[in-house]
Amino acid sequence: MSVAAHTQRPLAGERSERRPAALAAALALALVAAAAEIVLDAAAGHSPLVPKSPDISAWLTGSGERLGFRVFLIALLVSSACYGALGALLLRMRGTVLSPRAAIALVAALQLIVFAGPVLLSTDVFSYIAYARLGVEHGLNPYLHGPAAASSDPVFKYVGEDWIHVATAYGPLYTLLSYPLAALGVVGALWGMKLEALLASAGTLALTWRCARARGFDPVAAVVLVGANPLYVIYGLGGAHNDLVMMLAMMGAVALMTAPRPPVPGARREAGAAAVIVAGALIKATVAALLPFMIVSRRRAAPVLGALAAIVLGALVGYAAFGIHGIDLVAALNRDAAFVSTDSFANEIAHLFGKPGVFPVDHDLLKAALVVILAHLLWRTWRGYDWVAASGWALLAISVTTTWLLAWYILWPLPLAVVTRDRRLLAATLAVQALFVVHQLSPLLAPI
Amino acid sequence: MSGASLPVERRRRWPPQWLRPRAEEPRSRGRLWRIETLALALVGLFLAVATIHDLVRQTHINHRLVADLRTWRHYTRHDYVNISIDQESLGLDSGREILCGNTSPGAPGAHTQICLAIWGPVIDGRRSVHGGWYLPPYHPDLRANRYGCFGPAGRGRCPR
Repeated sequence: MSVAAHTQRPLAGERSERRPAALAAALALALVAAAAEIVLDAAAGHSPLVPKSPDISAWLTGSGERLGFRVFLIALLVSSACYGALGALLLRMRGTVLSPRAAIALVAALQLIVFAGPVLLSTDVFSYIAYARLGVEHGLNPYLHGPAAASSDPVFKYVGEDWIHVATAYGPLYTLLSYPLAALGVVGALWGMKLEALLASAGTLALTWRCARARGFDPVAAVVLVGANPLYVIYGLGGAHNDLVMMLAMMGAVALMTAPRPPVPGARREAGAAAVIVAGALIKATVAALLPFMIVSRRRAAPVLGALAAIVLGALVGYAAFGIHGIDLVAALNRDAAFVSTDSFANEIAHLFGKPGVFPVDHDLLKAALVVILAHLLWRTWRGYDWVAASGWALLAISVTTTWLLAWYILWPLPLAVVTRDRRLLAATLAVQALFVVHQLSPLLAPI
Repeated sequence: MSGASLPVERRRRWPPQWLRPRAEEPRSRGRLWRIETLALALVGLFLAVATIHDLVRQTHINHRLVADLRTWRHYTRHDYVNISIDQESLGLDSGREILCGNTSPGAPGAHTQICLAIWGPVIDGRRSVHGGWYLPPYHPDLRANRYGCFGPAGRGRCPR
């Protein structure tokens, strides 16, 4: 009797240990299935969720049905629920529910499924191609002209209607990076952009892993929380957004500053990290928000000098390539700050107060609120608060206070949130993402 | 010897203590953390209320637009898909819409269009038609293009 009890005890323990691992595996499979469902249905074409695009995923056609709001939103909800449950499991049972190999396999599968499919939910990638072709094929400055300046170009018909007259708002480094793709034709450039987004995502995830390990966090949880995030996979990678390239630079800078040996990174690494942030800002300006926090946390000349050197070099290259408009990022940011998207919290709050939308005075109020938040974060960083967490809060505050909120904007703070001790940042980032998903649900509740 | 150690001492004196970076925040941060967390929770709650409110608002609008489309199809006896909906001309957020669609089969706007002004509560999946007008093919819904205005909503909306 006692022998039987003795042999049964470890079996029961093993079973209870295996249960979370089995649950994690089931959640991971559900995440992959939901992503595959969206991609296969999107490949069938004629969907309001898939922008007009060259048929790059014809080989997937026939496996799915036309992607409607109902299927998409159910798949998004399933993904979000599975992601939330998997994330909670990973954070609670550090390193026991998913092996590093399984985590990498899950994240790689999700990225590759979306990479293989058509462009999802956004026409932005065609704007990137159009700006590159404006410069390379038509000899026009993309900082002075919108895609409509070359309306005969084969990519023009794919550019979003709202953007055909708008000059590029992206940094000169990104525009120069996109130039080599212009000569590949629309289909070649599209695959080039998708590959660029995939590689940037892989790099971001690798750096997230490295930073998490160096800062004493579970790298498996960190990489899954970023790489399996439904908004990251479906909206960010699905749309081949250049935010992923910006995030690669962001995590590159954090990795340089996170040197385990010696405990404090040397002056050269600090200068390099600041220069990488400036390079990221020359791709998409938002990442510049990290710089003041890095400088305040170090209070040394090296990051300031590194940033200044990169700014001078970037300005010279930008000026040589595009003239003064290529380096006037402030004008581009001011222009974009005036846009209003239906998903922005500012718009939702305006509706809550019975207003039809955001008024000019609201823009000023939101900017003032952002300044107050950034000042508080700088003060906290001065007092010793983790600059990476402060940067994450700053990026989250920017996305919450902007009147032009898109799904991929609320991805910015995520890689920072998983490598910081302040778990409130991760909770707040995921809560904002959850609210974004909830706001998409009206076609599910009242189909039109 | 003392001359050689002087620069090191100077280096140690600069930057002064208050300017030196800190590895951690001072101990008094507990109260600040609580205040910040409370502020975050309140902001989160406010954003959640705004999001749910907007979702409900959008769902009601969708519900209304479905009723409007059904009304247009029932009134004109045409089961067409491409019907344009104007939510602004009769007042943004007024719940009053103008729906325009072809009077005969064809591409959107390629034939004479009939526009209906629709508002009121949804009853049996439809709302009330309060009037309307016609538009020539390929003409946007501008006052100058309208003809054959009918019903109280159409009164005074045609150029003559």
